[in-house]
This record gives sequence, structure tokens and C-alpha cells, in this order.
Amino acid sequence: MAMIARIWGTLRCPSVKYSVLTLLAVGFVAGVLFWGGYNTAMEASNRLEFCISCHEMRDNVYQEYKQTIHYANRTGVRAICSDCHVPKDWAHKFVRKIKASGEVWGKLTGVIDTKEKFEARRMALAQNEWNTMKATDSRECRNCHGFTAMDVKRQKPRAQQKHQEAQQQGKTCIDCHKGIAHLLPRDYVEPDDE
Amino acid sequence: MSTIAHKRHALSLLVATALLAPSLPASAVDADAAQVLARQSGCFKCHAVDRKKDGPAWRDVAAKYAGDAGAEAKLIHHITSGEKAKFDDGHEEEHKIVKSNDAAQIKNLIDWILSLPGGAKP
Repeated sequence: MAMIARIWGTLRCPSVKYSVLTLLAVGFVAGVLFWGGYNTAMEASNRLEFCISCHEMRDNVYQEYKQTIHYANRTGVRAICSDCHVPKDWAHKFVRKIKASGEVWGKLTGVIDTKEKFEARRMALAQNEWNTMKATDSRECRNCHGFTAMDVKRQKPRAQQKHQEAQQQGKTCIDCHKGIAHLLPRDYVEPDDE
Repeated sequence: MSTIAHKRHALSLLVATALLAPSLPASAVDADAAQVLARQSGCFKCHAVDRKKDGPAWRDVAAKYAGDAGAEAKLIHHITSGEKAKFDDGHEEEHKIVKSNDAAQIKNLIDWILSLPGGAKP
């Protein structure tokens, strides 16, 4: 306790050796290095290769995602895991990364380390993600998609109608577009069939 | 051969096989697998088994094609070719293509639909 008080006292004591300019310069450089390191770590853990470094992801959802339009399409634009599952802004991204520690715990305890275990939990896992997307008004979808950017005249009539209804009813992307990058759970039922 | 050409070739073979093959007994239909394929292909967005949505109830489809020897081939073509489907408001647009390249899986889905007791309210 005495040691903590002594360190605290030292930290609060004004410097008698270094100028304010030196302290500011050192603080600035340290801040830049810390922020750069933080962002580098965040971006490294956002890479597709990082996401599929666990066999749980590589053998299950990644294989399904490779068959979808978000992986390969005629325009050559690819949305990787983090584009849909990790917020872009730093505050929400930070919170998401903290939550991801739960996934690390799952990895360590082996709750989905086999295909069978994954399938048994697929509905719960999917529902978690759908709930998150619903709560954020499909924020990650809207990084690329938005009603205001849609040229509805180039959509099929049914899509035009559904998008119009969705706007009028205050719906969000995930309300209708479930299972577009992964297989739907076996026990999934369309909302209007419930 | 390109992938598209491959797919067209496979689909042609599938339709030809369906035309030539005798109808499967009901017991050969894997209803569970059929519903999984239907779900993954998004069929249930427009269809339900026993009520009309944007598309007809599948029981009604079964009733419509009851006794039609060419039903299986027609419906396989319908869900694999992107042919036009007519909506209630009169407009037409391409029917979605089932998400499978497995001829047996597609045939099983159609056989399951055709095996349903006919009529939206049986």
C-alpha cells in the first residue's frame, strides 16, 4: 500500500528535470505509437485469414460463405467476415472485440469443436447475430447497402415492392435477408410462417 | 467447357432423365432433405406448403399436376432455368434458381412437392 502511495506521489509531482515541451513531445510520440499499435492489432484481427485460423470457422461457416455472392460476384467486390460482423467505428469495434473474448472462451472449452456440436448450436448462434443486427438497424449491412443508394428501377418488380414495404414498415436488412452468407439453421422458420 | 455451359448441360441431362424416368414411389422421397434444400434456396420466402404467399401453396401445385406424367420435368425446369413466373399483379419475372447443382437433390425436392396431399386445405 505504501509503495502504491509512493508511486502515485511521484506521478503527481511536477518534473524538475524535463521541460514541458519534452514531456509533450514524448507523450505525443507515445500516444501515436499506442494508437498505431491498437489499430494494427484491431485490423490484424479483422483479416479473413485471422477469422479462419480456427477450424470451427474454417470448416463450417467459411465453407458456406465461399458459395455465396458476398464471397464471389461479377463485380469482384468481396465482403469478408469483419465487414459484416465487426463495426467500423472504433468505439463499437472495441466493444465487439471485447465480446469476441467469449468466442475465445468457446474455442478453449471446445463448445463447437465438431461439426455436430456446431450444428446443434447453429440456431442459437445465428439468433445471437440476427438480434445484434436487428438492434443496430443492420449497421454493418449499411456500410455498403442503403435505401437511398438503391436505384429501384434496376431492381425486379418484386424486390422494388418488398423494399418499398420494408421502408414503410421500418424494417431493417436482416428482417428479410437471413442466411445470405451462411446456411440457415435446420429449424429456421420464415417470420410470416410462424 | 465453361461453368455455365457445364451447368446447362447438367440441367439438360436432369430434365431428360426426369422425362424418361418412371415416377418414384412416395417412400423414396426424402422429405427432410427436400425441406432443407427449399429452406437454403429461399423457396419459403414466396411459397409455403399449405397456404398461398407470393407463390402458390405447394399442396396446390401438387393438386394442379396430379396425374400429369410430365409434371416432374416441368417443375425441375421451372426451378433450374430461371424461366418467367407470373405474379398476381400480372407482372412476370425470372423464377429463382434452386441453390444446388445436385440433380438427385433437385429431383427429390420436386418429388416431395408432388407427393404432398393436394389442395391448400387437404
